[in-house]
Amino acid sequence: MIDTVLTENYGMESLKTIEGYLKCGGYKAAAKALRDMTPAQVLDEVKKAGLRGRGGAGFPAGLKWGFVPQNSGTPKYLCVNADEGEPGTFKDRFIINHNPHSIIEGALLAAYATDIHTAYVYIRGEYEFEARLLERAVQEALTHGYLGRSILGTAFSLDMTVHRGAGSYICGEETALLESLEGKRGQPRLKPPFPAAVGLFGCPTVINNVETLALVPAIVLNGSEWFRRRGLPQDPGTRLFGVSGQVAKPGIYELPLGTSLREVIFEHAGGLKVGRILKAVIPGGLSAPVLTPDEIDISLDSDSLAKAGSMLGSAAVMVIDQTTPILSVLKIVTEFFANESCGQCTPCRLGTGWMDKIVDRLAQGQGRRRDLDTLDRLAGGIKGRTLCPMGDAAALPVLSLVNKFRGELEEACRE
Amino acid sequence: MKAEFSPGLLAAIREVAGRYPKPQAALLPVLHLVQKEFGHIPPEGERTVAGLLGVNPIRVREATTFYSMFRRRPMGRYHLQVCVNLTCTLLESRTLLGYLQDGLGLRPGDTTPDGLFSLSTVECLGACEQAPCLMVNEELIGNLDREKLEALLSRLRTDHD
Amino acid sequence: MVKFFLDGKPAEAAEGTTLLQAAAQAGVRIPHFCHHPAFPPEGSCRLCLVEIEGLPKLELSCSTVVREGLKVWTETDKVLEARRSVLEFFLSDHPLDCPICDKAGECGLQDYFREYGLSQSVFDESKEKRGKKVPIGKNLLLDRERCVLCTRCVRFGRQVTRTEELGVFQRGLKTEIGIYDDTPVSHNYSGCLAEVCPVGAITDTDFRFKTRAWFLEKAASICPWCGRGCNITIEHAPGFPRVPGSRRIYRIKARYHPDVNGHWICDVGRYGYFHLDADRQDVILAKGKILEGPSSWEAVIRFLGARIAGLRADKALSRVGVVASSQLSNEELFLVRRLFLEDLDIRKIFLADPQEGTPDGFLLTAERTPNRKGAAEVGLKFGLPDLKSLAGELDLVFMFGLNLFDHFRGEDIRIFLSKTATKVLLTSQAPAASEAFDFVLPTAPAAEKSGSFVNIEGKVQGFAPVRPACGQALAEWDILLRLAKAVGVNAAFYSGLNGLDDIRQALDREFPLQTLKA
Repeated sequence: MIDTVLTENYGMESLKTIEGYLKCGGYKAAAKALRDMTPAQVLDEVKKAGLRGRGGAGFPAGLKWGFVPQNSGTPKYLCVNADEGEPGTFKDRFIINHNPHSIIEGALLAAYATDIHTAYVYIRGEYEFEARLLERAVQEALTHGYLGRSILGTAFSLDMTVHRGAGSYICGEETALLESLEGKRGQPRLKPPFPAAVGLFGCPTVINNVETLALVPAIVLNGSEWFRRRGLPQDPGTRLFGVSGQVAKPGIYELPLGTSLREVIFEHAGGLKVGRILKAVIPGGLSAPVLTPDEIDISLDSDSLAKAGSMLGSAAVMVIDQTTPILSVLKIVTEFFANESCGQCTPCRLGTGWMDKIVDRLAQGQGRRRDLDTLDRLAGGIKGRTLCPMGDAAALPVLSLVNKFRGELEEACRE
Repeated sequence: MKAEFSPGLLAAIREVAGRYPKPQAALLPVLHLVQKEFGHIPPEGERTVAGLLGVNPIRVREATTFYSMFRRRPMGRYHLQVCVNLTCTLLESRTLLGYLQDGLGLRPGDTTPDGLFSLSTVECLGACEQAPCLMVNEELIGNLDREKLEALLSRLRTDHD
Repeated sequence: MVKFFLDGKPAEAAEGTTLLQAAAQAGVRIPHFCHHPAFPPEGSCRLCLVEIEGLPKLELSCSTVVREGLKVWTETDKVLEARRSVLEFFLSDHPLDCPICDKAGECGLQDYFREYGLSQSVFDESKEKRGKKVPIGKNLLLDRERCVLCTRCVRFGRQVTRTEELGVFQRGLKTEIGIYDDTPVSHNYSGCLAEVCPVGAITDTDFRFKTRAWFLEKAASICPWCGRGCNITIEHAPGFPRVPGSRRIYRIKARYHPDVNGHWICDVGRYGYFHLDADRQDVILAKGKILEGPSSWEAVIRFLGARIAGLRADKALSRVGVVASSQLSNEELFLVRRLFLEDLDIRKIFLADPQEGTPDGFLLTAERTPNRKGAAEVGLKFGLPDLKSLAGELDLVFMFGLNLFDHFRGEDIRIFLSKTATKVLLTSQAPAASEAFDFVLPTAPAAEKSGSFVNIEGKVQGFAPVRPACGQALAEWDILLRLAKAVGVNAAFYSGLNGLDDIRQALDREFPLQTLKA
């Protein structure tokens, strides 16, 4: 029996309505916080819970909230990052479709803890259906007094607007999200300054992933110790692992951090299809370096995967079996990042384009072995030198594929 | 030259723009409204939007050329957008793409002569548990196979008639 | 001041200085494209990465601010490798246009390539094909293949002129700069865009294919076209011209001055150099005949000196008129006042300046003359003569420049001149009707002499000749000084003046202006 935090009642159809949500204990955390706790106490609880961001970077949420200045003299903003562009990731869509109010309540608690009164949900443009779901939930919350003025009869107010993106992976990066929300090209900003100091419209801003916020009500209601009963001390709680690819049972599996990758694939996701052999696993979305079959006895948590040269990222586990040529995986990687590069900085703009051209040539059967050396060098030239983390996201998977599957790739070369 | 925006569209735009402290922030939502109305974003529409939001038209074009969902040329009635990212490819989305290309006589980026179908390839749609997926305009359809694809095309053809 | 270490040596910089700026102040050049001192840090070119002790990744020197005790290294292996790598990326999609590119010889990409010793290219794919002669307004052409997307041009339009003609379209490798359909660059600072582009992407058709940068000599000067006194660099090619009769001055660029023009100059000044090579009055005309030979100036000065002395003896100096202009330097205006007004008691002194224009709200002033304030400082005010009443009242008139033609009909000027016995024109540009004057004396424009102007904000700025005066031309101060000596008035004073420095000192004694800065 898995000790879930989020997906407890996800089987209930009515959970997505406010009536259903309330029946399952929804907005109880909000009532507790706004009536019986100070903002500092709410922030403290989340800090003690050790909740790490679920978007991909894994930055501790409580710490992030703590960076927001108390008295800024300007408005402050909360952005819910529902851009979910990391290939292989569908957990936020899952949460929105099943329990949109958990996001609203989580945002409400985050806003209360940081004295923020305006929130925007930046949702990727392709999630038109989910955007409407969220808008409906926002209306319900307004009508029932969980958003807007004088929430729950207190002095606290919060406005929430759902804002659709328009097809750009990079807008999941928090500063690119801000640029996009301001009506501009989604180009990441130089940091420092950080959004907590200079964010949306130049004002202090908190940006949190959907899943991160959806976990907050349970933490506030049940306490940090309760939350920490699952997972690991340095990476507590559960995560929604999204398993897809050449597995028998693709889907979302809420499991404690520290679960082994092997268990996720073979016990929960039903293993491979009949007669297939495992070839490779990407554990955290397309930006995560690939793991080989002998590397899957690994704990799924941020630190273990980082130590193994990969990353937990968005916890999107993509399973590849032996019927798939690794060259096609490499091609998808280079093509994706070349398409999604915002074009602002030199190594990413030129590097992703160059790498994709080489791999394209490889895919046409016109590759040479030294092209693999070039790929390795180019990816190395992008790594650590770009304006935003997408440079590493483009480079590290290429490095892992070229190095771990060199033999197979060489065979695809004509000389 | 400016595009003619209906009173309904103008009202919707003004409502959306009012949700932000700076009207420029409403650019993406407004462009979605325009694209929904016209099927694409007509170049003259960029100028109209610019005027409504108080920005230079060049800023609007920066957005319409940056974001992949915005189309600046007329599209077919049904825009078929096939995901070709990893999971969908692992589950044969490119084979389905091939069926569509052959069946409709289209390459990605093209529209059928009768203006009914446009075809594009897109990146991950965030529905990997239902791979392979495509979107028809703004509707996601997953768990595709050849049969479902044929059924979809017939449905769209009959809906149109 | 913040103490830190630059390449192992102790250094100091004011708080808030970036590492790039601090290094530059210490004479260490760190390569960069997107950084420009006029704009806040951009951080996109990634060329300026440096190593900071204690930090695992290389950091941008353009946006990292000095901290107490910080140790920065600008030429370690790691840094050089990163520079090579970033340059390699730039070059992977850059056309091999050097042989036909105007920027060759002053191109950032060329310079950095040479300095950081790149090896052979291993790029084996097709480069992107992009527009190579995209008109973006006025004299400007954009070559999108050469563009390195530093976005300086875009930021110039957004932050300096606030006209925002240029934007960034598409994304990834397809990213390109462009204008919006029918809104090309049309402001008075278009030339700055070609100047601000670090490579040959934005070129100026005024300069296109005219010469090579390495043939040009550069010299500082002050723009003479309005009251702002923008600091400029005049670039010219001495020696024989490639095409006989073609020009020698090829280009004017902005010269940075924090208090006058910042980093910019306007198009009026930038393209206002054709007068230096075309239609020059470079010979002395006496009654329509060219006076040649080494003693021609002596002859003219002697004649005019005697003329004035004669009128003085007849107590008829009220029949002498001077039409000067505030296009003259401080030293020249001082001599005009000293000689004509004070020593000769000539009251009919007028200043005719070029027609005023519309100020552009930034650098270009309404007054289209560089020294109106200087004229005021020495007690001369802009005032036009009443030509109708003056006609027939003068036996001798000195006219400096042709500005009267901006204010009166040619016919009226001709009538006035015809009723004046002796007419002397001092001009650097050949007049249309030289026969209307008894003497046409060639003068040197600001670019060909030393002097100083006082700009509209009261700042005194000196200038020195960029090249020798053309033909027989002399600076007006030189002519006036010779004339004064020939007239013989106040001999003690004028005999003590033997060059411009003497005149300056005399000027400073009587009308203390600020210390001059050349």
